[in-house]
Amino acid sequence: MTPEALLEQLKQTFGDAVTESEVKGVEVRLTVRSEASWEVCRFLRDGGFEYLNCVSGVDWMSHLEVVYDLSSLRHPNKVHLRVPVDRANPVIRTVTDLWRGANWHERECYDLFGVRFEGHPDLRRILLPEDWVGFPLRKDYTDERMVPYTDYGMEEKLVRAEAEKGAPRAVRPAAPRAPAAPPPAQEP
Amino acid sequence: MERERIIPMGTTAVMERTGETMEEMYVNMGPQHPSTHGVLRLLLKLDGEYITDCIPYIGYLHRCHEKIGENRNYTQVIPYTDRLDYLASMAMNFGYVLTIERLLGVKVPERAEYMRVILAELQRIASHLIWLGTFGLDLGNFTIFMYCFREREMVLDLFESVSGQRLNYNFYRIGGMPMDFPDTWVGECRAFLDWFEPRLPEYDAILTDNILFQKRVQGIGVLAPALAVDYGLSGPMIRACGIRWDLRRNDPYSIYDRFEFEVPVFDTCDVWARYMVRRREMAESARIVRQALAQLPAGDIMAKMPKNIKPPAGQIYCRTESPRGELGFYVVSDGSVKPYRYKVRSPAYVNLSALPEMLKGCLVADLVAVLGSVDIVLGEVDR
Repeated sequence: MTPEALLEQLKQTFGDAVTESEVKGVEVRLTVRSEASWEVCRFLRDGGFEYLNCVSGVDWMSHLEVVYDLSSLRHPNKVHLRVPVDRANPVIRTVTDLWRGANWHERECYDLFGVRFEGHPDLRRILLPEDWVGFPLRKDYTDERMVPYTDYGMEEKLVRAEAEKGAPRAVRPAAPRAPAAPPPAQEP
Repeated sequence: MERERIIPMGTTAVMERTGETMEEMYVNMGPQHPSTHGVLRLLLKLDGEYITDCIPYIGYLHRCHEKIGENRNYTQVIPYTDRLDYLASMAMNFGYVLTIERLLGVKVPERAEYMRVILAELQRIASHLIWLGTFGLDLGNFTIFMYCFREREMVLDLFESVSGQRLNYNFYRIGGMPMDFPDTWVGECRAFLDWFEPRLPEYDAILTDNILFQKRVQGIGVLAPALAVDYGLSGPMIRACGIRWDLRRNDPYSIYDRFEFEVPVFDTCDVWARYMVRRREMAESARIVRQALAQLPAGDIMAKMPKNIKPPAGQIYCRTESPRGELGFYVVSDGSVKPYRYKVRSPAYVNLSALPEMLKGCLVADLVAVLGSVDIVLGEVDR
């Protein structure tokens, strides 16, 4: 089946649950409402996408997004499925009953983004300690132990270099060196 | 091929038949244990000598790899990818730069592509050698450990003369390679292959033909092919289930479609099959390196790249075949100099998630062999 035909089939079956869609090479990229995500996943799995590559989360500040990457061992087509979920109350139905491999992927997504997967058999934190507070990969996550990242002005330098391209380079005089400290007097 | 599970013969099973009762026992293995290859904790539920359940606890090596990646620019992430799978850093670099290049739509010069393939395949040999050595050591064979580390040392010397590093190379760049091979390097690499290929039969003499080793690994840690696909296993793990699935062949990236090589498959689905697959893959990798060295063209090694790498807004999931399986990078770009979201789908993480399935019904003594056959590197499991 060509990716275009697959997308057409998905649109016919799920109607306006498919909000955005695009075909890029062999990959079908679509966005689906969270109510229909499990049905779409089941449809795809039964339609030949038996291999779940990855489940990941993205924090878009306005909402969270759960992203499924599906493929097959029998044909080259791929599916990139994005499901937006509410940020204040992120709940989505689990796909562990469709692919067992989703278990740890979903636990990781819960651990780092706080998305709760309804019906998951064992939804615990996996990478962080079980008593950790907060979801670190959310963009607004803060922790008093976090050190603000500094790239020592590298980014500004690069931006400036791009702006000054072509302009004559200013030669900056070398900073005077501090005088070398005298060697400590040797004890007799 | 579905195999019969071992019938539990432990104390509790016997007592159930006789009507007596005894509680099952929980035993911790790790986090500090020489055979967990890092800091991995397995909570085992035992029925006498038999494992009835296993719960892995991971995360002891978690270091916020993805959060760090979101706060660095695209080039600065490369040295961090080295630390993912520290036994196959070249493969990790390869996967990452390939992802960003696809996002940017950059064409890499021919010579750089060949250099990448040569280094990645040498890395596969080195990674499988360390696996073979430690696997032999786990099962009590010290000789193979010494043999494998001798050959691995030679690969590391080759890498050192190319990149200046022995483990974390940081050698791939977005758009090409930073430095060309040293003048005598190609000859040295050929000399290594000439030394290495006759060594493989020696490994066979120590392990493959060793009846003690065979008895130790055959028929344990069985995982049905259907389950392997369901769990999303990849690399040697899925090939040991009789499924011919190799991304270098099935979803070719870089220039892998130009080389002739076999994809080794073994269908007994047990620890023995995983051993055989990796053992054969080393020979195939050596074959690819030889072909790539013969075809190595002259020319540029770096495409013309802007100083500020700013991929257009968009997202990509890109997968490559690392020594442990499907290494995927999922990158979301918002058009700035830093990735908006950066996620690693590490092969060992997914492969490890199927461990409880393989261990059910196993003897405790076989656990070390089964865990060894998964070939985990905790650096990429915990990220």
